[in-house]
Amino acid sequence: MSILRHSARRFVRALHTSNATVNADEIAHFSRLSSQWWDHQGEFSFLHKMNPVRVQFIRDKLLEIAREENDDLDIQPTHVLRDLDVLDVGCGGGLLSESVARLGARTHGVDASESNISIAKVHASADPKLSPPSPFLSYEHTSAESLLTSPKRYDVVCSMEVLEHVDNPASFLSTCATLVKPGGHLFLSTISRTPLAYALTIFLAEDVLRKVSSGTHTYSKFIKPNELIEFFQNYRDPKVRGLIYNPLLARWHLAARDAWGGTDCNYLFWVRKPALESGDGSAAS
Amino acid sequence: MLLLANPRRNAFNCAGVWRKRLSTINNTKINHEDCDIVIVGGGPAGLALAAALGSSPSLRRNLSITLVEGGDLKKAEGWAPIPGSFSNRVSSLTNTSQTFLKSPSIQNCIYHILLTSTTGIGVWGHIDEARTCGIDEMQVWDGISGARIAFSASELNLEKPELGMARLTENFNLQRGLLRRLKDLPEVRLLQQTKVKSIVQDVEEHRQWPLVYLENDRVLRARLLIGADGFNSPVRAYANIPSFGWSYDTQAIVATMTHPPRGAFEGPNTTAYQRFLPTGPIAFLPLSPTASSLVWSTKPQLAAALLACEPPVLASMINAAFRLPELSVRYLHTRILEAQLSGTPITPSEIQQEISWREQSHSIDQHSIYASANAAATIGMPLEGSEAVPPLVTTLQPGTVASFPLRLNHAEAYIGEGLGARTALVGDAAHTVHPLAGQGLNMGLGDVESLARCIENAFLLGGDIGSHTALLPYAQDRYLENHILMATIDKLHKIYSTDLQPIVWARSVGLEVLNELDSLKAAIMLTAGSRTDDAQRTSATAWNVVAKGVETLVAAADASKILAGGLQNLLSSNLQRLLNTEGAPGQQKRV
Ligand SMILES: Cc1cc2nc3c(=O)[nH]c(=O)nc-3n(C[C@H](O)[C@H](O)[C@H](O)COP(=O)(O)OP(=O)(O)OC[C@H]3O[C@@H](n4cnc5c(N)ncnc54)[C@H](O)[C@@H]3O)c2cc1C
Repeated sequence: MSILRHSARRFVRALHTSNATVNADEIAHFSRLSSQWWDHQGEFSFLHKMNPVRVQFIRDKLLEIAREENDDLDIQPTHVLRDLDVLDVGCGGGLLSESVARLGARTHGVDASESNISIAKVHASADPKLSPPSPFLSYEHTSAESLLTSPKRYDVVCSMEVLEHVDNPASFLSTCATLVKPGGHLFLSTISRTPLAYALTIFLAEDVLRKVSSGTHTYSKFIKPNELIEFFQNYRDPKVRGLIYNPLLARWHLAARDAWGGTDCNYLFWVRKPALESGDGSAAS
Repeated sequence: MLLLANPRRNAFNCAGVWRKRLSTINNTKINHEDCDIVIVGGGPAGLALAAALGSSPSLRRNLSITLVEGGDLKKAEGWAPIPGSFSNRVSSLTNTSQTFLKSPSIQNCIYHILLTSTTGIGVWGHIDEARTCGIDEMQVWDGISGARIAFSASELNLEKPELGMARLTENFNLQRGLLRRLKDLPEVRLLQQTKVKSIVQDVEEHRQWPLVYLENDRVLRARLLIGADGFNSPVRAYANIPSFGWSYDTQAIVATMTHPPRGAFEGPNTTAYQRFLPTGPIAFLPLSPTASSLVWSTKPQLAAALLACEPPVLASMINAAFRLPELSVRYLHTRILEAQLSGTPITPSEIQQEISWREQSHSIDQHSIYASANAAATIGMPLEGSEAVPPLVTTLQPGTVASFPLRLNHAEAYIGEGLGARTALVGDAAHTVHPLAGQGLNMGLGDVESLARCIENAFLLGGDIGSHTALLPYAQDRYLENHILMATIDKLHKIYSTDLQPIVWARSVGLEVLNELDSLKAAIMLTAGSRTDDAQRTSATAWNVVAKGVETLVAAADASKILAGGLQNLLSSNLQRLLNTEGAPGQQKRV
């Protein structure tokens, strides 16, 4: 336990040392790949398959809370995202944004890569339900930090598979948290820094099977679930849920709650911002 | 980015609100309508899919669903049969299929939201159940060795034995029920007597969405295009999905047979009979106490000759085919063929004479259950062991004698990709099987249940229901299961349509020795649809048992080479390919 705590503290300290949140090399790397983003059977097939599970996590979490707060078990899963303001940070080609928009949320996708945003826009325009001027979906080439200058805040902020690519996770996490309305939700998904994660995502996926382009991941940037929990220690009751890939079914699914080792590789994270805010919204103090 | 400069569009379109937009194809302005789901084909599979999708409140409220059928559905809708007469197209619906057609049941809904079950589409209430017939018992025997297995619903350990093993239902009865159910679901649009002329890709807007051109010059653009369009599926052709298979060199003669009711000591007419002759199986499927349906698979030449006979001759041949030793059945077939070739068709009294001689030469007493020459003499007499054969057919209902070519055909994929993306196949468009196990339509209904659930799951998670990711679970769920089943049915057909001695020997030994755990029994168990919580897994396992059983049988006779052609090809190349594509995302590209 103490070792875990120690490394977590050291990690949080490390987060504060570098300034630029977005790493230029990584943007270039992903821009090269973004044209293949929407090929459901291409390099990103893993992400395409993972997407429904992420949406499920988000939807079910919101449903659980809506049912609890309204004391109404009849609220339908398709209703919980309706008319919410959702921000998708690092939206890439728009995988998550499109799904969330289809569920009726006013979705704003932002990405630091211009070509990702182009791909996302072109793809959405091919869908009669999402093409502009749909009130449900908009994209913007910008960084999360730039959004801080606008007063707009969101009911839900999502950032999927982004954390493991940023240079300054602490500042990135604070930015995301600030963009959430009081009482709103922050959803993250990322990869844990464990030997298993290393074996699966870097050694196997990049080097052996070559499913993902080499250089997509850097092991040292992976963040462990308890590091995230620690970061949000001022928030109540953050939740972590593992994402598990079943190679036989070629499907992702959510690990059982509290499954041993379930969060050793890909995992989802949810935290709710306190309804009444004290201070500037920065979570880590 | 160019696309973003497109003319302004409306916002969300709700079910029923059709957006019309202009696109140019061959320099002519074409109005196309955007649809979320277009189903081509209003056969049982297409109608059931429309009803299944319409039965999901979230799908029918939020998606526009259109079914296009070239034929006239009013014929099925207004079907009003004369009481006591039966259509010649019947199917045995398994309990699994029946459960799916019934009302939604909460029992089957799994707690977790993602797995919300679409089981139960509220059709059964619209089916005239009085015209259907539950099968309580089945008798199957080998034409040459006489080895026989018999089993009943009560010994199959069914969840609800009172339902029987399966239920014989006229196809019209099912189709009419489906159409009535669809009347309650006005959100689902039916376009009948409207043929699909062609399907092309929407290249104009780089969308790669299918544009469906209808006979009446309307054009539908589909987010998801589903082929329920039968064996010659135009959707399969558009999706460029190859299919493999062969024609069986077999015709199935169908007819509605009338016969006296079973005697008081015999029990009701709820036993199905099937005898495997080397020329193909002949099946007797009960519909009412005095009517049953015939499916007689046989060589095309012989089928043509039998169809050319006067109905009483065909009736006599049916009775004989269930009773006489194979040698004599073969002799009678030769007689029929010769008579036809010589241009002097055999008369009813001549055939009766022939049968009578054959009975005498086999020392079959005229009061034996195996005697049929003098039907009048035996009818109504309580005969020992008469449950072993079906009742004696007296007449064939006029206008019901017909025949269909039989074939095996399996599409190489159930969902399109690349240029044929946004497509899925169900029912006979995906697979055609030999009717010997009565599975064709049941497989189609299984597809429909799985695809509807897959679409609903994707929709509830904000997925693009036409995307490969959204549809993949459907293919994973159905392809392998159907494939195993088809391979088994094909194997059974091949094994039983030979009179090669080693195989006949293995057959009889196999059938007798394995009586309890017999392969065929497992097959029928599936047909019966013994339903558990995990019906699908059970059925896949059941068919595995069948496949193993048959394989053992063949190995025993060291005759595997004879069968190798069909099965090995089936399993090796296609199964391998399937496992590669579905199992390992790294090698998903098909070559
Ligand atoms: C002799 C025999 C006995 C059988 N017994 C059984 C049994 O006991 N149990 C069982 O489960 N199955 C049985 N089957 C199989 C069963 O009948 C079929 O599997 C079933 O009818 C297939 O239904 P479907 O809806 O997939 O296709 P179909 O019934 O072939 O329907 C396809 C529809 O698509 C329409 N269509 C095609 N092209 C176009 C176009 N271009 N535009 C518009 N519409 C179009 C057609 O008009 C047709 O209505 C039997 C089959 C035979 C031949």
